Amino acid sequence: MKAAHVFWISIFSGGLALAQGPRPDDLGASPQPVGEAGVAWYTTWETARAEAERSNRPIFFMAAAATCSGISGVF
Amino acid sequence: MCVRLESYESEEHQKMVRSFLDGRFENTAFCLLAPDGETRLSGTGRSPSQGLRQRRGPGRGRGDNGVVEAMEKVAKKFRAKGTKEGAILQDFHSFRQGLNVASGDQRLLIFVVATENDRKTLGTDLRDLMSDKEIIGKFHMDFADEEPDSQWRDAVKGERGNTGIFVIRANAFGQTGSVMEQLPVDATPEELKNALLEANTSFAKTEKRKVYSEHVAAGRRARVHFENGMPYGEDRDGDGVIDHRAGRGGRGAGPEAGERRGPPAGRRGGPPRGNRRPGQPPQRPRIRPGGTE
Repeated sequence: MKAAHVFWISIFSGGLALAQGPRPDDLGASPQPVGEAGVAWYTTWETARAEAERSNRPIFFMAAAATCSGISGVF
Repeated sequence: MCVRLESYESEEHQKMVRSFLDGRFENTAFCLLAPDGETRLSGTGRSPSQGLRQRRGPGRGRGDNGVVEAMEKVAKKFRAKGTKEGAILQDFHSFRQGLNVASGDQRLLIFVVATENDRKTLGTDLRDLMSDKEIIGKFHMDFADEEPDSQWRDAVKGERGNTGIFVIRANAFGQTGSVMEQLPVDATPEELKNALLEANTSFAKTEKRKVYSEHVAAGRRARVHFENGMPYGEDRDGDGVIDHRAGRGGRGAGPEAGERRGPPAGRRGGPPRGNRRPGQPPQRPRIRPGGTE
């Protein structure tokens, strides 16, 4: 649950910035230590929808760019 | 459950984003949906605070708490069914994107290369393991597809044989990787779990956490570019055409797909932009996954 809070706090604290579009220089480090559990994301709509139907759980939908100014390795 | 799509991966993804943003295309979109994948349970927007607050009633909160409250309230309306251990496995549309995302999230990528029959079998047999509390949320997973992944070996060092379960460490920019562990497709769950935990421990000890501003700066210097499925840029006026705004430095506001370009004029080596004062440590990331299942 600690990791969950790290995620949601970090993502929500970026709300205003997201509304305006963050600049690369505004981006710091992830608050999550490497190797610890994060969100178990589904990364295709097909698998996500299948799992939602299977488990009857609502979907948190997020779309974002896995690049920053065309530079990869950022999500 | 959570889905995160890459906004620039395909036209289909961009259509979904537009559907949530009243026809506009922007880098990010958020919404809560019912298990049917169609019924909207929240507002929509390009940020969580815009999108996830409920449209009316309690929970339409202030700041972060309102969003979390809205999510909790929505979740309580549904009685989960099926077992946690039966959860469908993650997959990517392509190994290339999986490697990039694994790099961005700084997780190891489990890449399954097997015959179609074996992939189907493993897609079921590995569910229990991937739901294990020691495993879930620590890795990304991708099953090789015939067409988009035929060239995967070109990007990876250390692989042996034609099939296997490969535990891959992506490089900093997610365009190449190296195999940390390789197991046969008939490895037992215990063998696989031990290998995954061992690899993750080693990874955690040796992987330096990225500071994204520095990462982007390094990428610009090295002229790194990732060609995505769709042209970079946003369509904020919703006219169906990507806007081209000079000086936009936000995510996805880089050069057109296929075009390799260095940093914008005047940016290279210049002072940091944004609200950060000189000497102030990097800020909390504005977009960043973390959290848990």
